[in-house]
Amino acid sequence: MAKTYDYLFKLLLIGDSGVGKTCVLFRFSEDAFNTTFISTIGIDFKIRTIDLEGKKIKLQIWDTAGQERFRTITTAYYRGAMGIMLVYDITNEKSFENIKNWIRNIEENASADVEKMLLGNKCELEEKRQVSKERGEYLAIEYGIKFIETSAKASIRVEEAFFTLAKDIKAKMEKKLEASNPPKGGHQIRATDPQKKPTSWLSRCTLL
Amino acid sequence: MDELPSEVDLLIIGTGFIESIISAAASRIGKSVLHLDPNDYYGNQWGSFNLQALLDYNPDPSEPCDFRNKSFSLKNFHYEWLMEDQKEDLLKNSRKFNIDLTPKLHYCRGDFVQLLITSNIARYSEFRSVTRILTWLNGQLELVPCSRSDVFASQKVSVVEKRVLMKLLTSLDDILDSENTHNFKKFLESRKLSDNLVTYVMAMAGATEHTSLGEGVKSVKRFLDSLGRFGKTPYLFSMYGSGEIAQAFCRLSAVFGGIYALNQQNLISLDSEDNRITSLTTTKQQIRAQNYVTSLEQCSEKFLRPVKINNYISRAILITNKSILPSEQEQLSFLIYPEGTERIINVFELGSLTGTCPKNYYLVHLTSKQVTTPQEDFKGALGNLFSGSDQPQIIFSCYFSIPETSDLDFENVPENLFLCPGPDNDLDYNSSIQKAREIFEKMYPDLEFLPRAPDPEEIIIGD
Ligand SMILES: Nc1nc2c(ncn2[C@@H]2O[C@H](COP(=O)(O)OP(=O)(O)O)[C@@H](O)[C@H]2O)c(=O)[nH]1
Ligand SMILES: [Mg+2]
Repeated sequence: MAKTYDYLFKLLLIGDSGVGKTCVLFRFSEDAFNTTFISTIGIDFKIRTIDLEGKKIKLQIWDTAGQERFRTITTAYYRGAMGIMLVYDITNEKSFENIKNWIRNIEENASADVEKMLLGNKCELEEKRQVSKERGEYLAIEYGIKFIETSAKASIRVEEAFFTLAKDIKAKMEKKLEASNPPKGGHQIRATDPQKKPTSWLSRCTLL
Repeated sequence: MDELPSEVDLLIIGTGFIESIISAAASRIGKSVLHLDPNDYYGNQWGSFNLQALLDYNPDPSEPCDFRNKSFSLKNFHYEWLMEDQKEDLLKNSRKFNIDLTPKLHYCRGDFVQLLITSNIARYSEFRSVTRILTWLNGQLELVPCSRSDVFASQKVSVVEKRVLMKLLTSLDDILDSENTHNFKKFLESRKLSDNLVTYVMAMAGATEHTSLGEGVKSVKRFLDSLGRFGKTPYLFSMYGSGEIAQAFCRLSAVFGGIYALNQQNLISLDSEDNRITSLTTTKQQIRAQNYVTSLEQCSEKFLRPVKINNYISRAILITNKSILPSEQEQLSFLIYPEGTERIINVFELGSLTGTCPKNYYLVHLTSKQVTTPQEDFKGALGNLFSGSDQPQIIFSCYFSIPETSDLDFENVPENLFLCPGPDNDLDYNSSIQKAREIFEKMYPDLEFLPRAPDPEEIIIGD
C-alpha cells in the first residue's frame, strides 16, 4: 500500500483542565465547535493531513483523555511526541501560572528535543481577560518557544498555530536528515496484515 | 484542585497490571470508574522507574495504614554500586532508564498480543522483537535456533539430528497421545537427540528436569506457534519497559471516561457493613460505589485473614557495560539459564534501542523462583556471565523479592470487593489477563470483555 503522506508527526496537547484543549483539537481536525460531545465521547487522538512546502504531513494529535485533571498523565503519553501545544486560558490566571508546571512535566517525560508552542486560548473573550498578551509573549520568550493567542470557539488562528508548529518540526527534522543518515526507523504492523515481514533484524513495531 | 466524584459504579485502588485491565474493561462498557492509587506513580509492583526513582524506591514505608498491606510488599530490597566511578554519569542519565520491577515478554501469538489488537490498545505501545534466544550449555552461551533456516545453518547440529528435530517438532500434537513417559527431558532423550538439541528444546519450553511431558510439549508448541509473526523469535518486549503496558490500559480507561488520581495520601478506610463494602472514606469526602477492586498490596488487613506467603520471586537488576555476547548490531537477548535441576533463570538483556537504558550500557533483568535469597539464587549465574576478564562488568546491581500471590485464596472477603494479586513468575502476562477477565466477569457476567475500541476516525460527531 502506497503511503499517502511524506511525514507523520505526533503532537500532544497539554495544559490545565478546562482551557479548551479538546475544543482546539476539534476546531483543527473537524472545523467544528461543539460543547456537547466532550463529556460523552472519549477522544484519543485526531488526524489531519496538511500540505506544507510541497510535502504531505500527517498530523496525529493526541488529547490528554482527561488525565490532566488530577495530574496523572501517563509517561506513555509523551513517548514519541515531536511537538507539544501548551495551552492556557486567557480568562484564567491559574491556568497560565500552571504552564510552568506543565513544562517541568514535559522536561521530565518527553524527549529533550520536542518542539513546544504556547497557546493562549479563548482570546475572543476580551472582556474576561485575566492574562495580557504581553505576559504570554514574555513567558514564551523565557522558554524560547513560539506563542499565539487562539479561539477555538470563534475559530481564530487555530490553523495558524498547528501549521506553525508543524513547520518548525519539519525544519528541525530536515536539518537532522541532512546532517546524518538516520538509523533505520521502526515500522508499524497492523492487525490486518499480520503476514507482513519485519524489514530489519532489530525490528521495532506497533501492533496497530 | 477538583473534588473526586462521590458516586461511581466501580472504584479501583492500585494501578497494577490487573487493576488497570479491569479499569479499562469496565470503562469500555460504559461503567463509571474512579481509579485511585496511594502511590505517586503508575503500576505498583508492575511499575517502571528511572534510575534515581529506583534508588529512592521504598517498598516498605514505615507507617502502616489501611491501604498498605505489608505482607504483600517487596522484600529484601537492596542495591549497590560496584563501580562507583560510573555513578555520576549514570545518574546524569537517570531519565534514560526505564527499569521494570516486573519485566515481561509477550508471545507474538499469545493472548496478550491478541487482546492488544482486538481491543485496539496496541496503538498506545511500541514493541521490539527479541532478536536472539540464548541458553547456557557446557559452560558457555549458545544461540537457540529459532527457525528452520537457523537449525539448518547451525553447525552444532548434524544433518541426521536436523531431521530428527524437524520430525519431532512437526509431530508434537501426536506425541501426547502416543507417549508413555511423563517427563519431558526423559522423553527428549529417548528420541535420540544429542545433548545440544535436548538443551535447545528445553530452552524453547523453559523446562527444567522436572517438567512434565504435557507441560513441556505445550510450551514448545506455544514457542513454535508464535514464530514468524514479528521478528525472528517468538517474543516481543514493550519499548520503554513493561510498566508502559499497565499505563496503556489506564489510558484506554480514561478515554472512555475513567477518572484517575494518583498520590492519594488522604484515603482513610474502606467501610463495610453486612459483608459488603459501602464506601471509601477520605479526609475530604465519602465515595460510594457498587463494586470495589483493590490490589492485595493496598488492601487493608481487616479484609484478609493473615496469610502465609510461601513463594517469592527472586529478582536482580544489573547495569552493565557490554553485552554478554557482543555482536555487530545491538541485540535484545533472552537467555534461558538452567540453574540446577529445578530452576530456570530468565535473563533479559536490554540495550538502548529498547528505550530502557542509555547508549553503551545494558540493563539486565534476572528473574527466578526464589530458593534462598535473590543474591544467593543468582550467584552462580552471575559468576559465570560477569566475572571473566573479557566478560561485561556489573556497574550497579539491585536485588529484591516479589511475593508470589497469584495463587493465594482468600475467604470471607466482602462480596463486592475483588482482590488483584501481584505479579507472577510467568514469562508473559497470560495468567494475569485471565485473572482480570475472571474478576470482570464476576462483576459484569453478561458483558463483553474489552471489545474493540473505535478508531478516532470512526467517531462521528452529531450536533
Ligand atoms: N469562549 C470560549 N470557550 C471555549 C473556547 N474553547 C473552549 N471553550 C470552552 O471551554 C470549556 C472547556 O473546553 P475543553 O475543550 O473541554 O477543555 P479541556 O479540558 O482543556 O479539553 C468548554 O465549555 C468549551 O466550550 C474558546 O475558544 N472560547
Ligand atoms: Mg479535554
